[in-house]
This record gives sequence, structure tokens and C-alpha cells, in this order.
Amino acid sequence: MAELTELLWIVAKIGAIIGPLIIAVAYMTYAERRILGWIQDRHGCNTVGPFGLLQPFADVFKLLLKEVTVPASANKFLFVVAPMLALMPALAAWAVIPFADGWVLADINAGLLYILAMTSLGVYGIILAGWASNSKYALLSTMRSGAQVISYEIAMGFALVGVLMTAGSLNLSDIVNAQAGAFWNWYWLPLLPLFVVYWISGVAETNRAPFDVAEGESEIVAGFHVEYSGSAFALFFLAEYMNMILISALATIMFFGGWYSPFTGIPVLGPMFDWVPGIVWFLLKTAFFLFCYVWFRGTFPRYRYDQIMRLGWKVLIPVTVVWLVVVAVFHITGFGPWY
Amino acid sequence: MLENYLPILVFIVIGLVIGTALLAVGYVLGPRKPSEGKLAAYECGFEAFEDSRMKFDVRYYLVAILFIIFDLEIAFLFPWAIVLDDIGLFGFAAMGIFLAILLLGFLYEWKKGALEWE
Amino acid sequence: MLQIIFYVFAAILLFSAVMVISVKNPVHAAMFLVLSFFSAAAIWLLGGAEFLGIALVLVYVGAVMVLFLFVLMMLDINTDIMRQGFARYLPLGAAIGVVMVVQMLLVIGAAQITPEAGAVVADPDVNNIKMIGQVLYTVYVYPFELAAVVLLVAIIAAIMLTLHKRPGTKRQDVGKQVRVRKDERLKVISMPAEKRER
Repeated sequence: MAELTELLWIVAKIGAIIGPLIIAVAYMTYAERRILGWIQDRHGCNTVGPFGLLQPFADVFKLLLKEVTVPASANKFLFVVAPMLALMPALAAWAVIPFADGWVLADINAGLLYILAMTSLGVYGIILAGWASNSKYALLSTMRSGAQVISYEIAMGFALVGVLMTAGSLNLSDIVNAQAGAFWNWYWLPLLPLFVVYWISGVAETNRAPFDVAEGESEIVAGFHVEYSGSAFALFFLAEYMNMILISALATIMFFGGWYSPFTGIPVLGPMFDWVPGIVWFLLKTAFFLFCYVWFRGTFPRYRYDQIMRLGWKVLIPVTVVWLVVVAVFHITGFGPWY
Repeated sequence: MLENYLPILVFIVIGLVIGTALLAVGYVLGPRKPSEGKLAAYECGFEAFEDSRMKFDVRYYLVAILFIIFDLEIAFLFPWAIVLDDIGLFGFAAMGIFLAILLLGFLYEWKKGALEWE
Repeated sequence: MLQIIFYVFAAILLFSAVMVISVKNPVHAAMFLVLSFFSAAAIWLLGGAEFLGIALVLVYVGAVMVLFLFVLMMLDINTDIMRQGFARYLPLGAAIGVVMVVQMLLVIGAAQITPEAGAVVADPDVNNIKMIGQVLYTVYVYPFELAAVVLLVAIIAAIMLTLHKRPGTKRQDVGKQVRVRKDERLKVISMPAEKRER
């Protein structure tokens, strides 16, 4: 009986993570369209409900009520399984994210390793979807995005090793706690090059503009999910946006002090904001990175494929390796307030 | 340790359930009126004129192979990064040699032009 | 409870391993291999090998199988032709299988699983990753460096085998683009003004 209540308790906690997450995805699409609208000097969606706030729900219902087509030449089984495989790791990675002090579902020692493992699984949804569709555009996009995602995963992994060296732990809560204090104690300062590399490869990992050759609306018509419609498409959409939020949340945890207030350690402002709960800071920081996603999309032109690969292998990886050596030397010599 | 992994297991199962449920809802609620044109693979309005599964540039496989090697390198770096305090200069030197050997490979790769796309 | 979970994963592992070699579609076989890696990782986790379990997913599922899928998807493997030789190669395959089983038995027999050896693994309160790190880079530093050499060989072999330059391809040399100067591209020539004729 005790085991059953424990299980129910876990399920309730998972619901408390997934529920807000799905709402966040819905409003991320709304925010994205509104912000892009402002960037491009137009309205964005403003018709459904006050300020268009009900637009995401209209979209959800539309997607659920549309027909799910399965192309005649497709591999039926893999075609149906692929969107589920895209969504599953995008969701499961959230199990180890600490939202505030102690607010974490699974406080495992190998937290960061687990996150990397889960994000590396995301490529399966893309590969299987592209292959199972048996469509030329889908397949082209699969090869492109497969090679792109794995290339940037290396740069990202290296960048995160720097964080590990500084924090001395793989546990995400420990990493945040190691950054306790004012904002100059956060890791973005000593690890600035690694943070930049992490963020660029995070954007590339999620196949977002300016690295969105996998979707490339104007050349390969939305890429690997060109044959998907209705709720199957919705799953890919959900997975992509959850991964964006995940990458932003990780940036907050790794480099921007997680749930810590940016005003700690500042004479007057610090005590003034003491009452604000940690999760608010966490969400605000994450929201800022999500805004950056949209900002990039509205600002940068799309990279060419050979340029993407060049950037990943020939710029980001050497930068991270060099900075890892620098961090290791810092660590051994005990440089600055961080080591 | 294991009690921390139970929520992850449950989470993965719930993730699969949500995926299946959303797909199922789509199948139940959506109409189903298949037609030949609708079920054909999209090719800008043309009839698909050959099987789309074609042979790709070997470069993609090369990237995948190199990825495996560097991924392993990262897997080796992870435990090293968190015990750096305990293993001291010896461990630092060990990883230095390890990285130097692999950087040799990386340089070879670079010089050979394996990282270039045309 | 633990035993139930163990048997569930062990059953999935055996089932998917059998499916890997019995399904016709190679991509399906690869997916079953992914599933068996997953179950193996879960079993390692149950045994307390936290780092190895997740590293198995990271490296094998996240990297090796992606390469497998890349290759499988793009090579038109005709399964019918491959099946023709099944009976012919059966004795050879069986012989290799027997040799492998004997080898494994020898290794396991030589290792002599003692209760003490089990006790080191089973302690769940010690940080598994730290334990690995403390010995991997000090006690086992020689095999560790050997791993680097093996990886280096793999890099060179992969490049030698797959890379051949095709003539007539264009590539971007960014350094050259950046170094370019104004007078290489642009020439200002002075011309006498021409009279417009009506």
C-alpha cells in the first residue's frame, strides 16, 4: 500500500511538471508569433480571445481534429512510432531539472549525463520520421539535421564539461548551489566562451533559426515532418518546443545560477527582492532565453549547410577544447572566486 | 540511489502514454477520407518518380563516425571533471595526454579536409 | 519490487535481442537493438552502475545506433538475397557462436565472482561516478591512454576509408574570403565623360 501511495505521489508530481510545461509550449507559440509580429512591424495573432490569447487553444483543437494521413508508400509502423519517439526524450529529460531549491523530481547524481543521454535520443524521432515517410524532402532533411544535431552535440558536451569541472558535480542541484551568491558568482562569467558555445549549439540542436536547414520552409518544405498532419504533427511540434524550453532551462541552471536572485550581494536591492520565491527567478531567466530564440529567428538569416558544419567543427569545438584547458588550469591554481 | 530512478522510469512511461494518447485522440476525432492523391508522397505536385531512399554522400557517415569518437571522449571527460580535486596533477596530466592524442586525430581530420563540405 | 523490475527488463532484453536477428526489415532490427541497449542500461542501473548505465545510453543508443541507422537507411539492402545463404553459413555462424560462449565462460570463470567483489558494486550510497573517476585516471591510467590510441586509430581509419576528394567541387575558404582586399576585387578606372547623343 505504501508503495502504491508513493507511486501515486510520483505521478502527481510528474503531472505538476508536464501540465505547466504543455501550457508553456502553447503560450510559447503565441509569444513567438506576437514577438515576431512586433519585430516585423505587424500585429501577430490578435483575434481569438482578448489579445489573441486563446489562439494556442484554437490551434490545438484544429490539429487534433484534422485527419492524420499516412502516406501509401510509408513504413506504417515506424511512421506512427516516430513522433512518439521524438516526444518521449523531450519529456523525460525534465525529470531531473531542479526548478527551485529542492524542487526536483529525481535528484540523481548523474543528472547532467542523463540530460545529455536524453537529448541525444531526440535525433531518433527525426531520423525515423524522415525515413519512414519515404519522401525525398523528408529524407534530405533527415540527413541534414541528423548530421547537424550530432555535430553540435559534441560542442555542447564539451561546453558542459567545463561547468562540471567548476562545480565538481554532475548533480544539477549541486551545480546551482555551487553558484550561490551574487550574479558574478554565476558561471557565465568564468565560462563565458563555453556559455556562448553552449547557447549556439543549443539553438542548433533544436533545429531553430538560424540553423533550421532541417526545416527550410522555402527549400525542403518543412523537412522531416512534411508528410505528417494533425495530431502526429502536433507531437513533433510539442517535442521541438519542449526541447527549446529545456535548453533554456539548462542554460539557466548551468550558467545563470538557476533559482538564485540576481540581486543577492548587492547592498540595497538584495534584501528588497529577498521575498521573491526562487522559482520566479528560474522562470524569468528561462523566459529570457526563450525570448532570445525568437529574437534570433527574427534577426538572423539562415546559415548555409556547409557553414553550419564548419561553425560546429572548426570553430566551436576548438574554442571549447582551449577553454577547457584554461578552466583546468584555473581549477588547479585556484583562480578567482569560482574555484 | 535506485529510489531516485523510479520517478524517471515512471516519467518515461508517462511520456509514452501521452504520446500514444495524443495520437489516438487525433485518429479518433479526425476524419478519415483517404484518396490516392492525398496518400502520395509530397513532391511539389509531381508524381513521385523513383523510390526516395537514395544513396547519400559518404560524408554524412563520416560525420557520424567522428561523432561516436568524440562522444566517447566526452564520456571519458565527465568523471574526470568531477574528481579533478581528488586526483590532482597526475589525473590532470593523464587527461592531458589523452586529449593530446585525440587532438592529433582532430588535426589530421582537419588537414585531410574531412570537416569540409562543398 | 526490485526483482520484478529486473525480470521485466531482462525479459524485454532477451525478447528484443532475439528480434534483432529474426526480423526481416533491417531498420526494425536496429530499433530492437536500441530497445535491448535500453534494457541493458536499466539492468546495469539496477546493479548500481549508475555511470555505466547512462553512458551506455549516451554512447551506444545516442551515437553508435545513429550511425547504424544512417547506414542502414541509405543502403538498399536486399533482404531476399541475404537470406539465400542462410543455410550455407549456418555451420560457420554456429561455430563462431560456440567459440564466443566458451570464451565468455572462461572469462567469467577466471574472474571468480566473490562476495567481496559484489559488495563494492552494491553500495548505493557512494557516488558511483566519483568512484570510477578516482581509479580510472590513476590506477587504470594505462588502459585509459590506450583507449585514446584506439580512438585515434579509429579516426584515421574512418577518414582513410571514406574520404576521397571529388574533382570539380567548390568549397568555401573563409580565411581567403576574409583576407580579400579591396583592390583585388574592385578597379576604379577613370574614363572621359561621354557626350549623350540625341
